[in-house]
Amino acid sequence: MERLGGFGNGKLMASIIPVLFGLLGVVLTNLPFSVLSGIVPAPMYALMPIYYWCLVRPDLMSPVWAFLIGIAHDMISGEPPGIWAAAFVATYAVIDKQRDAFAGLSGFGAILGFATAALVTCASHYVIYCFYRWQFLPVTNEIKEFAVTSILYIPVVVVLASVHRRFVGPLRSEF
Amino acid sequence: MGNGTWRISRARGRAHLPLAVVGALAVIVILFGKAQSTLFDRARTGLVDWMRPALVATRAPIETMDRWLGSIGSVFWLYQENLRLKEENARLKQWHNTAQVLNERLKRYQLLLNAVPDPALSSVVARVIGRSNHPFLSTMIIDAGKANGVKPGQAVVDQRGMIGRVYLTGEHTSWVILLTDLNSRIPVSIEPNTDQAIMTGDNSPMPLIETLARGVELKADAQVVTSGDGDILPAGLPIGVIVKEGGHYRVALFADQTTAQDVEIVDFKHKPEYPPAVIKQELPVTAAGLAPAATAPLNDRNQVVKPPPPVYVPPGQKPATPVAPAATPAQPAANADPGDQ
Repeated sequence: MERLGGFGNGKLMASIIPVLFGLLGVVLTNLPFSVLSGIVPAPMYALMPIYYWCLVRPDLMSPVWAFLIGIAHDMISGEPPGIWAAAFVATYAVIDKQRDAFAGLSGFGAILGFATAALVTCASHYVIYCFYRWQFLPVTNEIKEFAVTSILYIPVVVVLASVHRRFVGPLRSEF
Repeated sequence: MGNGTWRISRARGRAHLPLAVVGALAVIVILFGKAQSTLFDRARTGLVDWMRPALVATRAPIETMDRWLGSIGSVFWLYQENLRLKEENARLKQWHNTAQVLNERLKRYQLLLNAVPDPALSSVVARVIGRSNHPFLSTMIIDAGKANGVKPGQAVVDQRGMIGRVYLTGEHTSWVILLTDLNSRIPVSIEPNTDQAIMTGDNSPMPLIETLARGVELKADAQVVTSGDGDILPAGLPIGVIVKEGGHYRVALFADQTTAQDVEIVDFKHKPEYPPAVIKQELPVTAAGLAPAATAPLNDRNQVVKPPPPVYVPPGQKPATPVAPAATPAQPAANADPGDQ
């Protein structure tokens, strides 16, 4: 089956799609749109492509890209620089270490796998932020963000899988 | 995700080095950001200025969808809502008339008392083009910046009350720190006794009232306004009402920060009134009726300095003089009760 990844321009496009989706996630998270009238924080859309392509195409979603997506998130969200970047890199490290376990999951298990990654991100973000401010912070909003991100992964993963099948394709032979 | 379209990478070892490097880089960025926040602030405002057209373009359809989603529920109680609004409108008309009469009366009183006029306030209207609702951050981005005269520190209000204040300005965009944000601290005054306190955000929908004087009991529904202390914000901007929660007081905000779309940035042009510098004639020695140590000219700073107030001297006693210290210790012994000996 021919894929875009097999052509010159198509290969370039395929290689930037995961990063573009990561950046799109950053923008979506920071849009002036209040999910449930602001009762819950905005979901971490940027984490979804990082998790997905870190599992299926780690060559296209490298730690550097996860870091840069995190920096973009920090810049647009207004949080202190490096906090989200560090949280995403920490999550990437966990996914990278447990890739076999995560990649073997399917169906509901795949959602739980992402939930685990989201939990790592939220926990890292919480701990780093507490150190940054040198005080214990309320954890409620972090839990809400974790929950809403895990739930919204279900529709988003369908889109990501579709894009992956159509435009990105499986791992190249060098892997 | 076992869709069978990919294989697991077996080349993990190659990713370990960049991962460690990138992790270290993230820590460096955090530390550098804490030390040099202005550098990142400039980059941030530049980025948002650059993204402004995209944010403005995406705002309209999202706002429409937001309104549409929000209006689904209200369709079911349209009749009751209409009745409630009619009643509220009638009450507001009454209050409007009362306010006009009181305003005229206030102007007459101010004229009679030769009162200092209210500080001059001008404002810029802006639209919300971005909103951060993260676990530890509540900010919004508005499409007005330095080019529109917006400066850091200015108050941001909507039609109901204060939302927050500007903390970062780009050329065409500004960041607003909301009252609910962890970093927000506003000096407030609580009516009707004008109790002074600090309102602190803790990322919950209702900010906390802190540093209230000991023993002060606040009533529920007491109105909270800006106090104007420290010349940060204009005094009297409505914020919300007091709600008692456990052992704490919180403020139920008038403004809806989550749905506000058009906001006003209030420019506070009031010149702070500082007390005059202390001069020798006003030192406690002079105030106590004693002669000043040095005889500086009274009108050296074009000030009218009143003479020391007359000191009441009981009959039979001599007025105190500056050369009395030697005699002073003898007085208590002379007036001592013989029974003490």
